[in-house]
Amino acid sequence: MKKLCFSAFIAFWSSIATMVAIHALAGQEQPTAVDGATYTPQEIAEHASQDDCWMAIEGKVYDFTDYLSRHPAGPGTMLSWCGREATEGMRTKGYGPDHSDFAWQQMQEYLIGNVE
Amino acid sequence: MRTPTANLLLWFLGLLPSAIFLVTSTETEWSSTAASLNTLGRLTGIAGLSFFLVAAMLSSRVPGFDRKFGGLTKLWFTHHQLAAVSFLLLLTHPLLLAFSGMTVSIDAGMSVLFPGSNPAPALIGWLALVVMMIFLAPSFAFFGEPRYQRWKFLHKLAGVALVLALIHSFMLARQIHFLWQSILWSLYTGLALLAMLFRWGFSKRSWFKRHGQLRYQVVGASKPLSNVVELELQSQPQQARLAYEAGQFIYFTPFDNQLAAGYAEEHPYTISSAPEEANLRIAVKDLGDSSRALQSIQIGSLVRVEGPYGAFFPSGDCTESELWIAGGIGITPFLSRARHLAAKAGKVDVHCILCVQDEARALYHDELKNIADRLPGFVLTMHYFYREGAINTAFLQGHCPDFMGRSCYVCGPPPMLGCVQGILRSSGVPSKRIHTEEFNLL
Repeated sequence: MKKLCFSAFIAFWSSIATMVAIHALAGQEQPTAVDGATYTPQEIAEHASQDDCWMAIEGKVYDFTDYLSRHPAGPGTMLSWCGREATEGMRTKGYGPDHSDFAWQQMQEYLIGNVE
Repeated sequence: MRTPTANLLLWFLGLLPSAIFLVTSTETEWSSTAASLNTLGRLTGIAGLSFFLVAAMLSSRVPGFDRKFGGLTKLWFTHHQLAAVSFLLLLTHPLLLAFSGMTVSIDAGMSVLFPGSNPAPALIGWLALVVMMIFLAPSFAFFGEPRYQRWKFLHKLAGVALVLALIHSFMLARQIHFLWQSILWSLYTGLALLAMLFRWGFSKRSWFKRHGQLRYQVVGASKPLSNVVELELQSQPQQARLAYEAGQFIYFTPFDNQLAAGYAEEHPYTISSAPEEANLRIAVKDLGDSSRALQSIQIGSLVRVEGPYGAFFPSGDCTESELWIAGGIGITPFLSRARHLAAKAGKVDVHCILCVQDEARALYHDELKNIADRLPGFVLTMHYFYREGAINTAFLQGHCPDFMGRSCYVCGPPPMLGCVQGILRSSGVPSKRIHTEEFNLL
């Protein structure tokens, strides 16, 4: 057990050091470019269903249609924010705490443009 | 409750929150590689914390409680195993969460470990993990075998790590409904706190009269060997004497300010006196600074005794045939039982094998020989290493042909314990009839 714990202790710090090194070498990643596409609030409002869900968050537009079913708290949590300004939902989860940095990073996959 | 059942209950307690987590997890949490890694990351966090809390519950030495678990040394072993499992799980916890983020981008992975916004919960989690590494480093001998007192001092950091881990969990956990999660962790924390409260409060007040912490005075010291002292301790006036059974041990704290080392330091020593004796006796071999200093402790000095602990022998009378194998100072629990059996002068069937290097180190030989001469059914066999080499099957068969049918009790240094256990098992003695007692930093 002593050897196993010591090996895990070394492996842990090696993994952390590797991740930090890769991160430092790779440099800052920029959000996906969206070729300057812009959408009006009216256009966003046309995508307000579970099968077609867009949201406006901090001036950017996201198409979350493919993500809805993968939300950890279930698709219903996001559904009420589809087709509208959803910064509050992202920042407060509806009851207070902000989403994690990881969630904000993950969101960039679904970026399709800016709010006009 | 039988010992295996009691130990299983501890592992069940450790696993319960993880089972609730799995039952309440949804399909979406396993829908992709990233989601599965994230779910596993949170699961290892919950499981690690619950094993940590169960290990904390066992950190209290409640005299008598340890018997349910096969004695304090066995309970320490379970505590050590639970802590090791907790440590391995908690090391995996941030890695899995980071790997989950890495499936999106390197930045996302790093932001799990070192978030830019709202960094407090992750920072507290990191602190808990680093403190855990510091206090467990001596226990798992990361940097060589630790000194007993340093190990004890660092182990107190476990409380800090536990509080930090609980805060981290309350700030982040979302798997189990908040109310149920609060109830669950409060219950586990409450049990761990109760154990610690007993340790620092109740035992010091001697509420348990003949158990817990008691004041004694050194009234005699004899030297059965040049490097072994047997101390005779008398309870203080108007204070109850410690109630104990043969084979048990105590934690002993001397308050002799003339000691070269170990003043007010607590160490475990086995009781060598019989339970019916007026005074308590312990045998101390010179194995380190503190035990060396005790060889010349002042008569009349005060000491604190806490116990009794251990469950080496079954409670009650000697009703079955027994084989005792002792190595060196490992004779102490057997000496207590031999003195007890001699005092009762009842019917016994005991074969005692005392393993020593040579005749000059035959600890308590004369007293044991005397007991063997006057107590029918008590046989003493000496095993001299310089003459016979390590004890083996042939030696056992030659001197105690029916050893396979006896309940076997073994106490001595770890190499001898390993050797004798191997011989007994390979000779067909069932594990449940092999009883060992060892005093090690696990």
